[in-house]
Amino acid sequence: MSLLDRFTDGWRKYRKPGYYEEFDYHWAMTIDLDKCTGCEACVTACQAENNLPIVGEKAFAEGREMKWIRIERYWEGEYPDVKLRFIPMLCQQCDSAPCETVCPVSATYHNQDGLNTQIYNRCIGTRSCAVYCPYEVRYFNWNDHQWDAPLEQQLNPDVTVREKGVMEKCTFCIQRIRQAKDHAKDDGRRRVRDGEVQPACVQTCPANALVFGDRKDPNSQVSRSMNDPRAYRVLEELNTDPSVVYLKKVDAKG
Amino acid sequence: MPTETNDLQYADVHRDVIRSIVETGPQYYIALGTAFGVTLLCFFFPWSYQLYYGIGAAGMNHPGVWGTYLASFIFWIGLSHSGTLLSCVLHLTHSTWRKAMYRSAEAMTLFSLMVAATFVMVHVGRPWFIHWALPYPNQMEMWPNFRSPLLFDVMAIGTYITGSSIFIYMGSIPDFAAVRDRTTGWRNNMYALLSMGWRGTDREWHRLHWAYTFLAVLIIPLAVSVHSIVSWDFAMSIVPALHQTIFAPYFVVGAIYSGTAGIVTVMFVLRKYMDFGQYITKVHFDNLGKLLLVLSLIWTYINGIELFTGWFSGASSEHEALRYKLFGYYAPLYWEMIAFCAVAPLLCISSRFRTSFVPMLILSIAINIGMYTERFLIVGTSLSRQYLPDAWGVYVPSLVEISIIVGSLALFVTLFLVFVKIVPSVSMYEVKETMDAPKPEPVASPEGSPA
Amino acid sequence: MPNIERRDFLKLVGAGSVGVGAGFYLRESIKHPMEHLIPHVVAPEDFSTGIDTWYNTVCSMCAAGCGISVRTREGRVKKIEGNPSHPVSQGRLCALGQAGPQVLYNPDRLTGPLMQTGERGSGAFAQITWDEGLSKVADRLDLLRAAERGNRVCLLSQGVRGHLAQLFERFVDQLGSERLLHYDFDHPHTLYAANQRFFGEQRLPYYDLKNTRYLLSFGADYLGSWISPVHHSLGFGHSRQGRPDVRGRFVQIEPRMSLSGAAADEWIAARPGTEGLLALAVAHHILSKGYYQGADRADWIAVLAGYTTTEVAAQTGVPAETIVRLADAFAQTQPSLAIGGGSAGNHSNGVDTLVAVNALNYLVGNLGKAGGLVFNPEPAGPTTHPHQASYRTMLEFVEDARRGNIEVLIVNGTNPVFTLPSAAGFAEALAEIPLIVSLSSFLDETTALADVILPSHTYLESWGDDFPEPGVGFPVGAVSQPVASPLYDTRATGDIILGLAQRLDMNDVLPWSSMEDCIKDGWRQIHERGGGDVRTESFESFWRAVLTAGVWGEETHRESTFTLDKSVIAGIGVQAPEFSGASDDYPFILHPYLSTTLHDGRAANLPWLQELPDPMTSVVYGSWVEMNPVTAKGLGLTEGDLVDIESPHGRIRAPVYVYPAIMPDVIAMPIGQGHAEYGRYARNRGVNPIEILSPQMEPQTGSLASSATRVKITATGRRAELVKTGGNSRDLGRNIVQTTGAGQHSANLNSIPITVIPS
Repeated sequence: MSLLDRFTDGWRKYRKPGYYEEFDYHWAMTIDLDKCTGCEACVTACQAENNLPIVGEKAFAEGREMKWIRIERYWEGEYPDVKLRFIPMLCQQCDSAPCETVCPVSATYHNQDGLNTQIYNRCIGTRSCAVYCPYEVRYFNWNDHQWDAPLEQQLNPDVTVREKGVMEKCTFCIQRIRQAKDHAKDDGRRRVRDGEVQPACVQTCPANALVFGDRKDPNSQVSRSMNDPRAYRVLEELNTDPSVVYLKKVDAKG
Repeated sequence: MPTETNDLQYADVHRDVIRSIVETGPQYYIALGTAFGVTLLCFFFPWSYQLYYGIGAAGMNHPGVWGTYLASFIFWIGLSHSGTLLSCVLHLTHSTWRKAMYRSAEAMTLFSLMVAATFVMVHVGRPWFIHWALPYPNQMEMWPNFRSPLLFDVMAIGTYITGSSIFIYMGSIPDFAAVRDRTTGWRNNMYALLSMGWRGTDREWHRLHWAYTFLAVLIIPLAVSVHSIVSWDFAMSIVPALHQTIFAPYFVVGAIYSGTAGIVTVMFVLRKYMDFGQYITKVHFDNLGKLLLVLSLIWTYINGIELFTGWFSGASSEHEALRYKLFGYYAPLYWEMIAFCAVAPLLCISSRFRTSFVPMLILSIAINIGMYTERFLIVGTSLSRQYLPDAWGVYVPSLVEISIIVGSLALFVTLFLVFVKIVPSVSMYEVKETMDAPKPEPVASPEGSPA
Repeated sequence: MPNIERRDFLKLVGAGSVGVGAGFYLRESIKHPMEHLIPHVVAPEDFSTGIDTWYNTVCSMCAAGCGISVRTREGRVKKIEGNPSHPVSQGRLCALGQAGPQVLYNPDRLTGPLMQTGERGSGAFAQITWDEGLSKVADRLDLLRAAERGNRVCLLSQGVRGHLAQLFERFVDQLGSERLLHYDFDHPHTLYAANQRFFGEQRLPYYDLKNTRYLLSFGADYLGSWISPVHHSLGFGHSRQGRPDVRGRFVQIEPRMSLSGAAADEWIAARPGTEGLLALAVAHHILSKGYYQGADRADWIAVLAGYTTTEVAAQTGVPAETIVRLADAFAQTQPSLAIGGGSAGNHSNGVDTLVAVNALNYLVGNLGKAGGLVFNPEPAGPTTHPHQASYRTMLEFVEDARRGNIEVLIVNGTNPVFTLPSAAGFAEALAEIPLIVSLSSFLDETTALADVILPSHTYLESWGDDFPEPGVGFPVGAVSQPVASPLYDTRATGDIILGLAQRLDMNDVLPWSSMEDCIKDGWRQIHERGGGDVRTESFESFWRAVLTAGVWGEETHRESTFTLDKSVIAGIGVQAPEFSGASDDYPFILHPYLSTTLHDGRAANLPWLQELPDPMTSVVYGSWVEMNPVTAKGLGLTEGDLVDIESPHGRIRAPVYVYPAIMPDVIAMPIGQGHAEYGRYARNRGVNPIEILSPQMEPQTGSLASSATRVKITATGRRAELVKTGGNSRDLGRNIVQTTGAGQHSANLNSIPITVIPS
């Protein structure tokens, strides 16, 4: 096979269905909207785990909040026949992520586990990934953030504190995945067990609406959940191929 | 030749142009001082603050992560267009009326590109790492991402800025030589260096013409591609109202449009304040006016198409983007743009209007204000209304941003003022080409020879 | 090699070292803080930033008593998660619980004992030693006790359970005082009273949401703030999509849609205070359709005769067909469950309303079975409720204080200056008390008025134990242990009380040297009693096992037979609610609700929660007043318009939030903001609606009818930006949150691992 053939062959296969078969994991999450109560426990859990800054009222008013996972809310109908629907929105870890193609310095790329990763110290802050992301889950560090002493003692040592000018977003708690892989290796296991690793949001969800796992394992909770007839992806028409799958809310009156 | 320079002699050309370089009145120093002061105060000072504080000094937010810096970037790239591009096209079509104005137009290209490049630095979050966007070998073995339209942009602008610089420099060599021969002291040394030993031999003229034409041919597609690529920064996203195939021609036309208007402005200023009345004449304004009219019609058509395709898509997100553009928060800006860029240029139908200097100046400035607005709206309205309604937001520029925009204008003026004192701002040898040969003496060496 | 003198050599070496040192220091000093952390993209294999240590303890952010696991590293608290073995939280936690580290590391914590040096409220405090502080208080107590005026001492605490509650009891008793008050704004007095009347016990039952198929909730925001939100959410999730064959249906009846209302399949707005009438109408229909065939059927028919669906429909504003539909579904879908609380219990007819809700459970046979209402056995340790002070009790206290009958007030954790309406005159009454001692960890509004502040540890630094109330159907206990060494010169609440006790020679009744001893002693008794899931010979191994697991439970549950006394049936009936203020002058009913994020204001000093969007409105960092779009339009108001909300007892100002799911004549406000003190994150932010509540009481319990205040609204013509995240709250047909028909239920086999009710 000539070099050119190898190149074209690799290019053709790149991130097409089946690409991840070569790798060990393909992390995915399902969110059951019929269970989600919108309580926002996940939001605080994420903030605690990932060293998200407290931006303050002024910055919040300017639209500069930092929430890797947020709850979107949509009202339907008018009083008295009115409904409020919640949907947790986080990085969808798209397999065809628009944000990855646009970064001029490859600061965001797809890793072998199917994660859309952000390399903070490579990022130069063009913010184009945030423009290209249709889910609007990328958050920019508009300035350096302060923690009033001694709040900084809570910071998670496994997660970097980001400086000004850097884009950040949900990582599926990659530090936990890493740790789980290390544990598996220490135990002489080749693979991480289903349920052994959970991102902070999934871990805390009081209604158990979030499920996380390896979708390459057909018996994992997340694989079964993804095969649920209620499964759908948000903005599926954009063909971003997200790794976050939502389960439809059941609309049953009375 | 149907120009008004007929009563001029070769010596007059030299005298006038070199005077503009050598003789400097207090007016110039005041202008330069003011421009430089404004640049420092309005551009570099707020920028330093922004570097210290972070991009948060600007008004950008989520979802409005791109703002006036990017709009300014497109604006300046656009403004750069008509200079070199126009010059090349006219050179290739042997339009003689170009000759008096092309040098300053090309300078405009160069300086707008420089200002645009500065805006890239202003725009990014960590400009101290901007070199990572360049493909150079490094110990990290990291390449930039060649799939990124932003990287296409880096390449395109890099090429364009290189091409334009060579083009303007090469075209100036005979004039540098002319100035060299008429100055003394440090100027003489500087121009000796710049003219690279030009002697004005036939071979030199021949090669200059060949190379100049070659570059002209090369730069035309480059100029078109530059702005197409700038448009891809937007069109390759999937943001409603940005994800459009019309964007490349839209940007190119818009660029030439605003660039042409920019040339009108610069020519007016040169004419008025540098005493080039005899070189830059009504004919130039007349022709540029016609060009503006044609461009405005194309531009208006593309705007119409943009609205139509948005409506035709039938998608809620596209409809909302349209609605927001026409009637939303930024709607006054939209209608201002329509008034300045689609309606006002229709005045150019009248030849009396085209040949009146002050109205043309006002029109050209209005068009560029409108075109700036267009760039701002492209960035601002689309990002404000994307797919997830819960994430909608509004972006309002901060004082720092507005100051930097004003400062960038001053930076451009500063660069231009320095330029007119170094480079002959009217191409002497080409103006002479348009003139009758000197009468009193028999023709010895027609152009550029030492006097 | 040039000649270098020894001196020159030394000079060079010296200068060189200084230079290198200075250079290094300069380099370090200009580094971004980020660079001091580990900037690896992928850390080397053998690289570890440290090893986590997890401790199991108990969350004290609200009264639910969730078990938590705290992740610490190098002695610092990093993260709090639910304790998977604890039956209440089962590994899960709410936003409030997650924010726990910010209580510990709050920059506004009190760092040591203080004494007020200026006027009360002037904020002039001087640092004192613990010895000085304790002696000062103990001397005063000693004097009073000697003069047999011990009853002039009052210990006013937040609700505490476990052996700390017992410690308080004994301490106050030893002083010769009867004044041990536990005051919490959110304590469900009416629910306790209703259960007392109906079931004859001062204990809440376990509401088995997990196994229910049909839930009828009357005003109880069980997912947001009512009793045990985490546990209810677990049950909700399981009921919804955790069972292969059935999906639980949920109906919420309340005047303003709460978090639970949004989660419900159907939200029904009934006029405030008429929830009980609605419950009785449902009961009436159940009887008239013959769903209930018990022996006492005739009594029920007699007592419910006046509550026909048509009549109640007129009073509640809920159509008769809806009531019928609810009643049919409630009776026919088994097991079903009716719960009541929250705003429904906070009316002048609160107890009657909740009794009516209990009656519904009785009539369809939901008592004592899975998926219904399960009776809790005797808790394993001391609980608090006998000392819970109602609003009336607090008024009595205020009256006593005014008369000069209170000489020492010891405040622990509770903040009545903030959580009592200004009409109660609590702050003014404090002026009459010669010595006020606060044991709070923060300078809240009440602590700011204290003379001596003996700051206590946060819950993450102290020993304690907890017996969740309501339990989960079987006895559960949990030990709370320090997970981080004390950050400041503070002491555990129990240790402060013990310190006072030692100075007062109470060693025979309070023999413990520390709270740890006290807890251990208490648990020794539990160990001796036997039973439970930890069975070891020695106490030490038992203790270690309990500490490691963080929880201890007994696998017993109570017999579920229940017979209803006829007199209870005869007493059933719900009066129309009473509101203070004439409806002409005050056209709106104020519906204050506990904030999901800030609870009753106790969490307002935690920046994570200040910055956490309110689930329903997405507003952060402030107060707002919710009104129906029609009402707002009628008043010419839009979002962000500042309005004055005036009750007969005060006036506050807040921006309008147009809320699609609230009755047109009701306006709602979240409780939690409006602190005048309580640290930098809480201070001067928003308003406190408790302030303007009318002192309307539920007559049977004396609890505050907090939903029974009428108000009027005047536009001020000014505007204030509401800080919030939501851009557009309608999805414009973009189908972002997709739904499917009821028939499309599918088994999502990811159920909760722990069984609460042994089946």
